Amino acid sequence: MRPLRLILPLLLMLGAPAAAERAQVIRAGDLMAQPFIDAAKAGPITAAQGVTILKRQGGWVQVMADGGKTGWLRALNLRLAAGAGPAPVVRGGPKLALQGGAPPSPFGPAGMKAKRSSLTTGSSGKTVSTGVKGLDEENIRNASFDAQQLDKLNALGVSADDARAMAAADKLAESKVDYLKKGKSK
Amino acid sequence: MRAAWLFPCALALALAAPAGAQLPGMGELNGLLNKAKALGKVGDSFRKVGEAEEIQLGGDLAGLILGAAPLVEDQAEQDHVNKLGRWLALHSERPDLPWKFGVIDNGDFNAFSMPGGYVLVTRGLIERMRSEAELAGVLSHEIAHVIRRHHINALQRPLREQALGDMNSYFHPVNTGVLPGQFRDALMKAGKEMYTQGLSEEDEYEADRMGVVIAARSGFSPFGLAGVLQTLSAATGDKAYALDAKTHPDPVKRLDALDAALGTRLDALPGLIDDGASFIALRAPPPPVIAPVRAKPKPKGKKG
Repeated sequence: MRPLRLILPLLLMLGAPAAAERAQVIRAGDLMAQPFIDAAKAGPITAAQGVTILKRQGGWVQVMADGGKTGWLRALNLRLAAGAGPAPVVRGGPKLALQGGAPPSPFGPAGMKAKRSSLTTGSSGKTVSTGVKGLDEENIRNASFDAQQLDKLNALGVSADDARAMAAADKLAESKVDYLKKGKSK
Repeated sequence: MRAAWLFPCALALALAAPAGAQLPGMGELNGLLNKAKALGKVGDSFRKVGEAEEIQLGGDLAGLILGAAPLVEDQAEQDHVNKLGRWLALHSERPDLPWKFGVIDNGDFNAFSMPGGYVLVTRGLIERMRSEAELAGVLSHEIAHVIRRHHINALQRPLREQALGDMNSYFHPVNTGVLPGQFRDALMKAGKEMYTQGLSEEDEYEADRMGVVIAARSGFSPFGLAGVLQTLSAATGDKAYALDAKTHPDPVKRLDALDAALGTRLDALPGLIDDGASFIALRAPPPPVIAPVRAKPKPKGKKG
């Protein structure tokens, strides 16, 4: 408790990004100057060495090793420290209610409907994210089929052409790749 | 096909009759046949269900998960996830399933898929993605479960003792007089078991190996899924990951297996990306240039 009280204002002062992930090197090797297999070497790194992740790019991660050396490592040569994963980032921007699906039926499963509307604020109809209620085993065991929600889900599908249009706009490059065989562990 | 094994079954029942009893006449034989049919179990026949049946099963199971967490009311996000998911599925062996992707409104981290092309991910999962390639990795992993029919594999055992007649009336309600309810109840029970206990470990490892390839075929870095597995490996004890952790093999083992299978094999693919422009725009929409309301002099100065 006490260390937290000391560190917290410090973090706030520095505006430290929550994204700074700590990790350990799995296998000894070299830091690379750039994210390529044949890039120049930027100094040796030992197994179990602690690093701070600066940036991820494809199969590579830019790190600052404890001691100050900076360079690139293979992403799969790192083991993240406990609790080092990304903090949730809530999507910004306006949110429009779903357009598709059958309108709510007065004869529908009333229990579910009533339960959900309590999550909706009066006039805006925006869903309030409580962030408290999880989705655990009990929630699934106690769940009952929701026909209205399935209607909404069925209305969400897009055509192959719609998908291709987005891929073209985002310049996604297709490749022919065979599935991988099981590898032999190192 | 089905009648072929039902007949000897009925015959066996007839022969098992007490030695003193007379051989049954035609009427009695028909009666025995019907009895055998009613008593017949689903057995291995569930494994052989066709595409239309998969879609029906998937819809019911998707409705079940949606009963636990409804869809996020965000048309733009749902549209993007559907376009991305469909694009990925186009690079699988089953591009023409009626794929449906949904973001469900829960802050925990999880992803579910159902037979026939249904995939649901939680809002909490989307919020913890470092990049679109990570999301592509998750969706591709789920797509692999669907195309390899891993759910059918998992549901086969709990459903095999159900009455065959009940299953047939569930899939073809007009053909028989039997109510489909009993089989559907058993399906829902088996589904709850599957979504709280997980698929087979082998199937999870296979979905990892296939998922990275489907993502790479579609233009995304195959290391997105590896990033997600790293997130999972760092989340021990975090309640938001508890169910996902319970239903999957140890993420460190998954990373090791993926590393061994992947190596540098997909490094040379040209033009792979971590984020598409439309995903970046979705996550951090630019501030509106023109105010949506009629121009009014605003006392409070806006940034920009």
